[in-house]
Amino acid sequence: MQNGPRETPIVSAQGVGKQVSTAAGSLEILREVDFRVASGESVAIVGVSGSGKSTLLGLLAGLDLPTAGRIELAGECLNDLDEDGRARLRAAQAGFVFQSFQLLPGLTALENVMLPLELAGVPEAASRAAQLLERVGLETRLEHYPRQLSGGEQQRVAIARAFAMTPAVLFADEPTGNLDAATGARIISLLFELNAERGTTLILVTHDPDLARRCQRTIRLEAGRVVSDEH
Amino acid sequence: MNTRLAHLRLALRLLLRDWRAGELHILFAALVIAVTATTAIGFFTDRLQRGMVSQSAGLLGGDLLLRGARAPDAQWLEEAGRRGLDHSRVLEFPSVVLRGDDLQLSAIRAVTDGYPLRGELRVAERPYGEDRVVNSIPPTGEVWVEARLLPLLNMEVGQSLELGSVRLRVAGVLAFEPGPGGGFFALAPRVLMNQADLARAGVLQPGSRVAYQDFFAGETAALAGYRDWLEPRLDPGQSLVDVRGGQPTVGGALERAEQYLGLASLVAVLLAGVAIAMGARRYAERHFDVSAMLRCLGAAQRDILALFLPQLLVLALLGSVLGILLGYLAQGGLLYLLRELLPGKLPAPGPLSVLLGLLTGLIVLAGFALPPVLRLRQVPALRVLRRDLTPMPLSGWLVYGTAIGAMAVLMWRYTGSAALTLGLIGGTLAALVLLALPAWLLLRTSRLLRPGLGATWRQGFQHLWRQPLLSVSQILAFGLTFMAMALIALVRGDLLDDWQQQLPAETPNHFVVNVLPEQLEGFQAFLRARDIEDSGLYPLVRGRLAAIEGEDPASRVAEGEETPGAINRELNLTWSRQLPSGNRLTEGHWWPADTEGEAVVSMETGLAQRLGVGLGDELRFSFGADSLRVTVTSLRSLRWDSFQPNFFMIFPPGLLDDQPTTYMTSFYLPETRKGELAVLMREFPAVTVIDLDRILNQVRIILHQVTLAVEFVLVFVLLAGFAVLYAALQASLDARLHEGALLRTLGASRRQLRAGHVAEFGLLGLLAGLLAALGTELVARLLYARVFDLAYGAQWWLWWSLPLGGALLVGVAGVWATRRVVRQSPLVVLRGL
Ligand SMILES: Nc1ncnc2c1ncn2[C@@H]1O[C@H](COP(=O)(O)OP(=O)(O)O)[C@@H](O)[C@H]1O
Ligand SMILES: [Mg+2]
Repeated sequence: MQNGPRETPIVSAQGVGKQVSTAAGSLEILREVDFRVASGESVAIVGVSGSGKSTLLGLLAGLDLPTAGRIELAGECLNDLDEDGRARLRAAQAGFVFQSFQLLPGLTALENVMLPLELAGVPEAASRAAQLLERVGLETRLEHYPRQLSGGEQQRVAIARAFAMTPAVLFADEPTGNLDAATGARIISLLFELNAERGTTLILVTHDPDLARRCQRTIRLEAGRVVSDEH
Repeated sequence: MNTRLAHLRLALRLLLRDWRAGELHILFAALVIAVTATTAIGFFTDRLQRGMVSQSAGLLGGDLLLRGARAPDAQWLEEAGRRGLDHSRVLEFPSVVLRGDDLQLSAIRAVTDGYPLRGELRVAERPYGEDRVVNSIPPTGEVWVEARLLPLLNMEVGQSLELGSVRLRVAGVLAFEPGPGGGFFALAPRVLMNQADLARAGVLQPGSRVAYQDFFAGETAALAGYRDWLEPRLDPGQSLVDVRGGQPTVGGALERAEQYLGLASLVAVLLAGVAIAMGARRYAERHFDVSAMLRCLGAAQRDILALFLPQLLVLALLGSVLGILLGYLAQGGLLYLLRELLPGKLPAPGPLSVLLGLLTGLIVLAGFALPPVLRLRQVPALRVLRRDLTPMPLSGWLVYGTAIGAMAVLMWRYTGSAALTLGLIGGTLAALVLLALPAWLLLRTSRLLRPGLGATWRQGFQHLWRQPLLSVSQILAFGLTFMAMALIALVRGDLLDDWQQQLPAETPNHFVVNVLPEQLEGFQAFLRARDIEDSGLYPLVRGRLAAIEGEDPASRVAEGEETPGAINRELNLTWSRQLPSGNRLTEGHWWPADTEGEAVVSMETGLAQRLGVGLGDELRFSFGADSLRVTVTSLRSLRWDSFQPNFFMIFPPGLLDDQPTTYMTSFYLPETRKGELAVLMREFPAVTVIDLDRILNQVRIILHQVTLAVEFVLVFVLLAGFAVLYAALQASLDARLHEGALLRTLGASRRQLRAGHVAEFGLLGLLAGLLAALGTELVARLLYARVFDLAYGAQWWLWWSLPLGGALLVGVAGVWATRRVVRQSPLVVLRGL
């Protein structure tokens, strides 16, 4: 058994494996991955490039399905849901921050943050989005387009968007990977502040040791297997 | 509900952003072209067609004519009234008119108020004087007569003649009267009278030979309905003539023009559709990221559709409205340019045309753009982590099925014929499949160039060779586009030439018949003295075809075929030493110039075919009591719509010498010299002159209109073709930008890049042009024979002009479209992608 808080986990993986077939034959990316993440916990997934971190994150967030094992997110088994069901679950429970910031270039900062709110039909999306942007320190940049913002600013917009729906879990894939050290540090601080303020569970993929250290727990992957899981 | 509204707002915002970012330009432009082309052509041809039909109806005197030897049932006329059709009856009969001691057999036409239903009567104060339109029929007690009657009766306008027991004052000279055939060879001079005078004249007795001509006019649909109702009720002695039947020249031109316009507008829509499909594909590909992001944020597939379909719909509506507007303006402008030529009051395009334009826009967009956009819903959310993930490629059935479905609906609407629609679609698909192989072979063959190439050029060509599937499809797309453009241009040229030839500037506008042999020399001297050039004097002998190979000619007509009129009546026979101009030998030999009295005949091909006559067959002709046996030694084809004297049978000189002979000819006399006809009539009173000017003019106007319409449509086909070119080039722009940027970071110079583009697009255009030449040769042959009834000569110039033009066009357009690849800084490109 893994150690950790005794309550029902917000995310759990049991015997998760992922195999893909390629031109060169079948490739096993993940094998026998087991762990639970309690609500409010912050977890870093680390490992060398190609070890399967992004694949695992995608599976946990329900962006893809495992070929073996079970994954639960907020008490629902992802295996039992179809794509639209998982989308609904993501809308309600998950937020995302990526290495490449994945903002829509045609929308302003404000509109990008409004996007998930509007998709869910939340009233007063604009004012809520504006508040969030103010929280990440971009109150003067509401009407700017992504290309008019620096990398760090873009990532702050992405973080504001990720928190817009007050998700239960925030998934982040190398959120500082494209940023210089100083900017990266500010982004990390912001992430942890928001995480603390809103009681969000944080699951992030990184190979930045500083970032990993700030998490309560570190899961290390090597060639698709969990080789260590420490607090 | 709230969500729906939020989605709609979001959709509109995304649309606006895309619009500003220039993402929608191609899609929108192609859509506008499609709708503009179809609506402009629709509006214009609709109005023009109605205009042309009304011109032609003006030649006939009504929209529909029922001819018969007895009065039609009263019930038939009631039915016509019930369907809202106007009716007017003309009674025509031969009767002798007198003045003093002079008498003349004439064709009397007794008409009622309202005649003619279509077209107009023109009357002059004196023979061959200036005429004017009259909007009435002769009042009771008066008649209008053809000019040639006056010298025959030694009288002038204003004097009276006798018909049966009434005296009727000749109040004017009948200059033009519409009617079936326009009065060709109507030998007896016409007298137009009011039916009210008929009873008093007492010339019609039970059993008199009267021809009933019942004219109808009204709405097109009502006419068609009435026609269908009436046709099965006719007896063999009655027949229906419509606008097309009345004038072979006009009917043929109208029919071919309609076919051309229909075909060309379909080609325009098809090309625009292809452009839309390409634009939509690019649009979809550029929205994969958005879609994946939205999926990641929790949008269901339904939500994705709820975001993208309204955008498509708004685009369709805006594009259609703009297209309809432009289409309306285009046709309005054209009508304005043609205002001198068009009949005064063209019916305005109705709201129905607008609706059809809108429908066209929606159908084209749905058929060609929907499949790629539907694909957006299937973008996997995982794409946010792995950029290389794309949605499953669309099933071919879906893509082609909807496109073909959309085309079928449109074609069916334009051609109104299921058979033609199926034929066209089947033909296009077959052409696609058939041409894919040569396209591939061309691509393969082009690799032979390889050893002779410099590095830069090879680099460009390699682009094509590396992705053979993509290249073949591009060659096909460009090739078919060029082919469509070439075909439409080719047909246009040949149609116009054909019409031009039919009515050259000095087409004879007067026919002269009844020149007696003893007057022949005097008559010719008369023409020569006035510098009037005749088309040769043809002897005319009346005779009947009595037997073919000893059998009754009527028995040779195939079951179910109509009996040719030529075997029921006396034929105009002639003899000639030379093959008359405008005739073409199709079989056998023309006789040597010194042939005299040999028992042979040259027969018209069409009649020979229908009667099963071949070379060497023996024909017997009867002339009253005499008869003559001859052998068929040649067959000729000729143009019945050429306004030249035409003959079914031509004999060599010396064979018909014993038969009573008159001579006929035709000549051209300009409007300004009409007065000389009066002199001619005075000097040769027995001669009959038939004036065809009015008819010729009307036919010219119609042909001119048709020509303009044809030119007009060509513009749209070309526009749509360019839209395809542009869309196809844009489609590959992203990949090229990326590759170009990479190459430049690796040290390639702009010149090298540009040379590579020139090489690639030039070769692409060249191969597409070659393919188009091949396709055009094949399809044109079919189209000419089956649809347009034109002769096709191999077009060698296509084989150099299409490849060269293609290389130039695609080369220039390609280099222009990819100018950003060369211009933009690699950093900007790589960051932006
Ligand atoms: N769908 C797939 N098809 C083929 N190979 C894949 C697929 N998904 C992931 N991989 C491979 O699996 C390995 C792990 O990928 P990833 O999870 O992105 O690693 P990390 O994020 O740890 O760098 C990589 O070698 C990657 O190329
Ligand atoms: Mg990764």
